[in-house]
Order: sequence, then structure tokens, then C-alpha cells
Amino acid sequence: MSARLHAVSNHTRPAVEVRALAKTYPGGVQAVRGIDFQVAPREVFGLLGPNGAGKSTTIGMLTTTIKPTSGSARLAGFDVVRHPIAARAVSSVVFQDSVLDKALTARRNLDLHARLWGIPPSAAASKITELADVFGLSEVIGRPVDSFSGGQRRRLEIARALVSEPQVLFLDEPTVGLDTRIRYELLDLISGLRGRTGMTTLLTTHYLDEAERLCDRIAVMHQGAIVAMDRPDALLAALGPELVELRVGQDPDGALAAMRARGLAAGDAFAVGSTLTIPLGSHSARDTITAIASLGIDTEAVTTRKPTLDDVYLRLTGSRLAA
Amino acid sequence: MTTITAAPAATPLARPRAPARPSRSAAWATLARRRISLSAHTPREILAPLATPLLFALVIAPALAKIIQATGRGGVDYSTFVIVGTVGLLIPLTCTFAGIGVIVDRAAGARRELLTAPIPRALIVLGNMAVAIGVSLLQVGALMAAGWLRGSHFHATAGGVAWFIAAVLAFTVFMYGLAEILANRIPTQEEYVGLTPVVAILPWFLAGSLFPITALPAWLAWVARALPTTHVLALLRYGVLDRTGAGLHDIWGLTSTTTDAALSLLVLAGWAILITATAIRVFTRSAVN
Repeated sequence: MSARLHAVSNHTRPAVEVRALAKTYPGGVQAVRGIDFQVAPREVFGLLGPNGAGKSTTIGMLTTTIKPTSGSARLAGFDVVRHPIAARAVSSVVFQDSVLDKALTARRNLDLHARLWGIPPSAAASKITELADVFGLSEVIGRPVDSFSGGQRRRLEIARALVSEPQVLFLDEPTVGLDTRIRYELLDLISGLRGRTGMTTLLTTHYLDEAERLCDRIAVMHQGAIVAMDRPDALLAALGPELVELRVGQDPDGALAAMRARGLAAGDAFAVGSTLTIPLGSHSARDTITAIASLGIDTEAVTTRKPTLDDVYLRLTGSRLAA
Repeated sequence: MTTITAAPAATPLARPRAPARPSRSAAWATLARRRISLSAHTPREILAPLATPLLFALVIAPALAKIIQATGRGGVDYSTFVIVGTVGLLIPLTCTFAGIGVIVDRAAGARRELLTAPIPRALIVLGNMAVAIGVSLLQVGALMAAGWLRGSHFHATAGGVAWFIAAVLAFTVFMYGLAEILANRIPTQEEYVGLTPVVAILPWFLAGSLFPITALPAWLAWVARALPTTHVLALLRYGVLDRTGAGLHDIWGLTSTTTDAALSLLVLAGWAILITATAIRVFTRSAVN
């Protein structure tokens, strides 16, 4: 088990407990289909999947803005349906889109959160000063938010969520829409939170590097269901240390079948479009490529590389995480 | 192969300790202060609704009075009659403009942050309503002061002012509740603004603002009697203008003016409670999928 992972022991209440949670929207769209998971205190847990996988609906149910159709969910022991106010009191959310009072100053936005979460004014003032410093907002804290850049707004929103020192922090696609430099700066900040606070973080993303870098465990969501859940390294290990990727000229399914028949590809090999991905397992890359060449497959390109979470996702679902 | 692992299940534990959260009154005050701060950044929300009623009260009403040379019942001059009647236009316009803030909050503001706060969601509606009431009272005060400066004569007694303020409060609560319902039901600001004439202006013409409702065709007079605007205007004039309560008598036709006034206030209070409860329900339902 990862040293970072703080598993739920028999003496510890899970920070997030989800049981058979489902949501069907009016019109019959099944956004979430009875998912189960637990997140331990101080764990960083990622929900990974493409748009439409059910991640945001799951976050919506956990933050009491979407009513579950069935199942249950608890935050720090509080049921989100039966005790929604208590569940909200122990959590904070950073939304996918900017959700700020843009006419107000950054300080006013932070102060509003503190007051609505019942933080005493003196404690709030020192917390706001501290967070503004950590998030590099000290010089702009008195400015209206509508003068902020996208990166500043996102940092402000994360700082705001931390003012109330939540037991559970939800980050819903926190870096979506940001340019690469700002995105990496933000990942550094989020990654640094682990050392500063004892909170549990539930993160949704479709960026694989984000999930690998930040999360202790990942649940892969596909069409409203969790299709895999484990540590990132364990998910990757299932594909072995290396794989071969081939782009074939025609009939990828036939090529894959031929390779399977020769024992070059196992059940975990998969085809997406004209690209075949073949985990090597115990075979060497050189022997495998030589053997493939002997099959007479019309091959346009061959590469070897280490597996990524995208390969994990492709193998599980047959579609890519991000376009 | 699909790998699914889970953290070990926890044994049942004692009920979790209730986390800290603000008192309802503190949360309500915070939400009201937030709305004041936002309104202060858009002064047009406050000034624009005042422009039309002021024009009516200070320019159009005196001009009409010159042409008509009318003296209302109870010896009230026509210009003053219209100035008080203009309150029935001012409050709906103010509340309708306040409703735009609800749409802005939803589309580009911090509404979702508020929805995840550990407070009853009804307080979000009530916080905004408190500011609408405050702004309405200030504007009504400004309108009446302008009328007084223009030469209107009011007959204000403590009891009359109490009827006046009670009517303004109940009518503002009713109108803000209506604006909140519409703002939460209507998807775009453009569609919402398009409804303003129907909600704010049309009832005002029928409610005895420029002439007594008895001057309307009989069937339309019965429609007017059902409008909250008619009741508020009759109460306002009874409070500071016409102690004979002619407008109230036109509605109820009873021998006791006090009973007429109490009944009209009851109608307004009933509408205010009903619409506020509906507004909270509509907001809560629209906020949760």
C-alpha cells in the first residue's frame, strides 16, 4: 500500500461513504448507476472519466445539489439526504466553472464563505491572511474579482474552500480551461495541500497526469458506473511494465485475432480504430515485434512505451478519456 | 480484468458530532449584506426603478391635474392622489429589478457556492428579500419627499403612517416573492425583462392609481378588486391622504373604514405569505436537480 494512503481502519469513520448511489434524471437518463466507494480520512481520491461518465453528478449528490434517486452517501458520518446541512458544514466545493461574486473583492468573497460556514471573525481574518499568502493573492486581495485572471480566480476559489477548514474538499475538474503553465502551478498548490491540512480530497478529472500525480486511489467511471478502483500504480501494473503499439493499414480486429492465435497478445490487448495496443507481459519487445512482422500484418508504425492510465481506461471502456 | 478494490469497511461508530455552523439570523444578515454589496455595485438597480414614478409624480400628474382640474373625493388634489398611487408602480419596478440579481447570481454569480453553505436555503431568498424591502422603503420615502417638495399635502398621523408602512411592507414582500418566482422559472434575463410590463405596469393601471376603480367598467372593477395593487393603493391613501377611506370603500363597501382597511391588509398579508412560501419552494426546487 502506498505510504501516502491512509486506509480506513476499524476505528476510523470513512470521510466519504457511498453505497449503491444512483441518479436517474427526468427523461430516464441514468447518470450514475449504483456506485460504491469509501474514502479514508486524509486520502486523496480521484474520480476519473470522460465528460458524461457521471463524475459531476456524483459530486452534485455528495454536495447536496443533486438529489439521489437511490442509495446513500455520508460525509464524515452525515447522510447527505437526511442531514444535508451538517454534511455541507464539513465540506467545501471548488466548482468546475468560476462561482464567485465578481463585483466584490477577493477578501469579501473569502469573508462571505467564512461567515456562512460559521467561522468566528477573528479566526477568519487570520485564516484569510494566511491563505492569501499561500495562494499568492495577498497583493490583489482588495481588488474586485472581475479584474482577476483565470488562474487567480481559480486560486481564489481553492483558497475560499479552505477558509472553513473542511473535513472533505471537493475539487470538480479544478484545472479545466486553464493554460498549461497555470495548470501546473495549480497542481503544485493542490499537491501542497496534503502536507498542510488533514482534510480528505475528492477530485474529479479527465486529465490522467493530474490523477496520477495527486491521487492515492482512483475510481475509473464509465457510463455512470465504476469499472475499476485502485491505486494508480496498481492499475498501471495490471498492464505490465511495457506495451507495444501498432498502427495497422487494414483490418485491426483481424490482426489482433491473428496475434492472439499466435500467443503474441493476451486478453488485455485491445484495438481502438487502426491502433492495436498489446501489453507485453513477460515477452520482450524485440521478440514480439519480430513475431508480429512474421505474421505479415500490414503495419504502418510500431512503437514501444510504458503504459499510461489512458491505456487502462481504453482497456476497460474502449474509449479515450480526453479528446 | 477489472480491478476494484475498496478501503476496508468501518465498524459502526457513534453518531458524528454536529459541526459548527452559523445561527440562522447571522447567516441571514450575511446574505443580506452580500446583496447590499452587490447592489451597491449596480446603482442602476436602485435608480432606474425610481425614474418613472418620479416622472409620473412630479411632471405627468401635475400636468394632468391642470387639464382635468379635478379634485378627488375627500378634497384630495389630483396631483397628490397620483403621487401616492405611483407607489404602486415604484415597488413592483424595484422588486422586478431586484429579481434580475437572482438571474445574474444563477448565471454568473456565486449561487452554487451559497447552495453548498451549511444554511437553510430559504435564507438565500429571505436575505435578498430583506434588501428589496429596505430599498423599497427608501425609494417610497424619496418619492413622498419629492411630492411634498412639489407641493403635495399629506395628512399624516401616527396611526395613518402605521397603515401606510404596513401596506408598503406587505406589498413589497408580495412583489419580491413574485419576482423571485419568475427569476427562478424563467431561463434568461431577456425573457424576464420582457415580462416586466405585465407584472409591474399593467396591474397598476387597473388598480386605481390614476382614477378610482369605480370609473372602470363594472366587470373590470371586479378584476381590480382582486389585485393586491388595488388594496395597497387604497391603504396608502387611507394612511396619509384620505381618512374617509374612499378607495377602501370602493373595494369592500362596508360601513367601518377600519374594518375595510384591516381586510385589505389581511388580503395583502395573505398574498405576501402565500407568494413567499411559493418563492422559497420554487427556489429550492430549481436549486436541486
